[in-house]
Amino acid sequence: MVTLAVILGWTGLAVVFAVALAPSAKASAPQAMPFLGGGSVETHAWQRFHFRPYTMSLLFIAFEMEMMFMYPWAVVFVSEGIKALAEMGMFLAILSVGILYGWREGIFRWQ
Amino acid sequence: MIRDTLAARAPAAVFAAIGPGRQADAERLFARRDMRRASTPRDASVLLVAGDIPAEASEALARVHDQIPPPRATVQWQGEDPDRIAARVAEALKDLRGTGTGEADRLPDEPPNEWKGIGPHGQGGKGMMGGTPYGRPMAMTGPDIRDGLQLDRYTARIGPFAPMLPPGLTLEVTLQGDVICDVSIDSPPFAQPADADAPDLCLARVLRLLGLDRAADRVLGGKRPGALWVRGAIPRGLGRIDGTDIRGRVAAWRKGEAAPLGPFDLPQLLTGAEWSEAMLILASLPPSALIRAARATEAA
Repeated sequence: MVTLAVILGWTGLAVVFAVALAPSAKASAPQAMPFLGGGSVETHAWQRFHFRPYTMSLLFIAFEMEMMFMYPWAVVFVSEGIKALAEMGMFLAILSVGILYGWREGIFRWQ
Repeated sequence: MIRDTLAARAPAAVFAAIGPGRQADAERLFARRDMRRASTPRDASVLLVAGDIPAEASEALARVHDQIPPPRATVQWQGEDPDRIAARVAEALKDLRGTGTGEADRLPDEPPNEWKGIGPHGQGGKGMMGGTPYGRPMAMTGPDIRDGLQLDRYTARIGPFAPMLPPGLTLEVTLQGDVICDVSIDSPPFAQPADADAPDLCLARVLRLLGLDRAADRVLGGKRPGALWVRGAIPRGLGRIDGTDIRGRVAAWRKGEAAPLGPFDLPQLLTGAEWSEAMLILASLPPSALIRAARATEAA
C-alpha cells in the first residue's frame, strides 16, 4: 500500500514538474527551421553519416577488456598453472577476432 | 532585481544583418565592450540591420527576424555614429525588459511545405528512406568523396546573413557529415568599399572564427596578437592560393600589410574541405577578393 502510494506520488510529482517546466509558447514555423543565416534547406534533416571513430573504439575496447581480465588472472596464474593459461588463451582468441575484424575494416590504416 | 543589475551590465547580444557597404563599420562596432555579436538569432534579442538590404534578401531577413525568440526588437543603422547605435540598442533592450512585448512575426506561422507522406512520422517510402515529409525529400545516399562509403547527402542554402560567411554570400552546399562535397554560389557577397579589406579587420575576422574574441577586439584596438597563438590555431597548408596558405595571409595581416592573393576558384577551394576548414578559408579571404571570385563563378 505504502509502495503504491510512493510510486503514485512520485509519478504525480514528475507530471507536475513536466507541466510546470514546459515552454510556454510553441516554436513558430520559422523558429522550428534550422538556422542557416536566412537560407532554407532542400532535404530533410534526418540523415545518416558514418561515425568514423567507431572502428577506433572497437580496438580500444578489445585491448581494454584484455587488460581488465589479465590483472586478476596474473594474481592467480602461479597457483592455477596450465589451466589458467588455457583459459586466457581462449579469451584472447575470442578478443582477437574483434581485432581481426577491425583490421579488415581498416583500423590500422591511418588517414 | 537580477534583471536590472546583472543582465543590464552584460554586453548586448545583437544579431547583425549587414547590407552593402556596411561590413567594416559593423565589424568595428562589435569590437566595443558593450556589444557582442550573437552567432545565432536564438542567442540575440535585438536585430541590427546595417544599411539597405536588397530586395532579393528581404525574405531571408524576415526569416532571421522571426528566428529571434520574442520579445525582440529591430534597430536600423543607416550610417549614424557607433555610439548612437550602441545607445539605441541599449534602449531597445531596456524597453524589451520593461514592457516584455516585442515585434510580431513577419513570416506566416506555417510550415513552408505541406505535410506529405505515409507512416506515423510522414517518413513515407520504405523503412527509413524515401518520402517527402513536409515537402522535403529525405537525404539519399551517394559515395563519400574521401573513401567511397555510401553516405547521405544533405543540401542546404546558407546565407546571406550567416555570421561565418561574408554578408550577402549565399552558398548552396551539399554535405556528407561535415564534409562539403558540392558547392555552388547562389548570390555573391554584397559590394563593400575597400575599407573592409583593412589588414586589422581581416585578421580580426580569422581570430573571431577561431573563438579568440578578446584577441580580435585587441587587434581592432590597434594591438598585435602573439604570433604563436594565432599560428598554432590554424592548420598548415589550408586554403593555399598561389603558394600562400591561411597562415601566410594571417602573418601578412599581422604585419599590417595586405596579403598577396591571385585569382582563385571559390567552389573548387571549398569542395572536399570539412565545414570548419571551409569557414576558415572563407574568413581568410578579404571581402573584395571573395566578391570578385563569386562574380567570376556566376558569370562562368
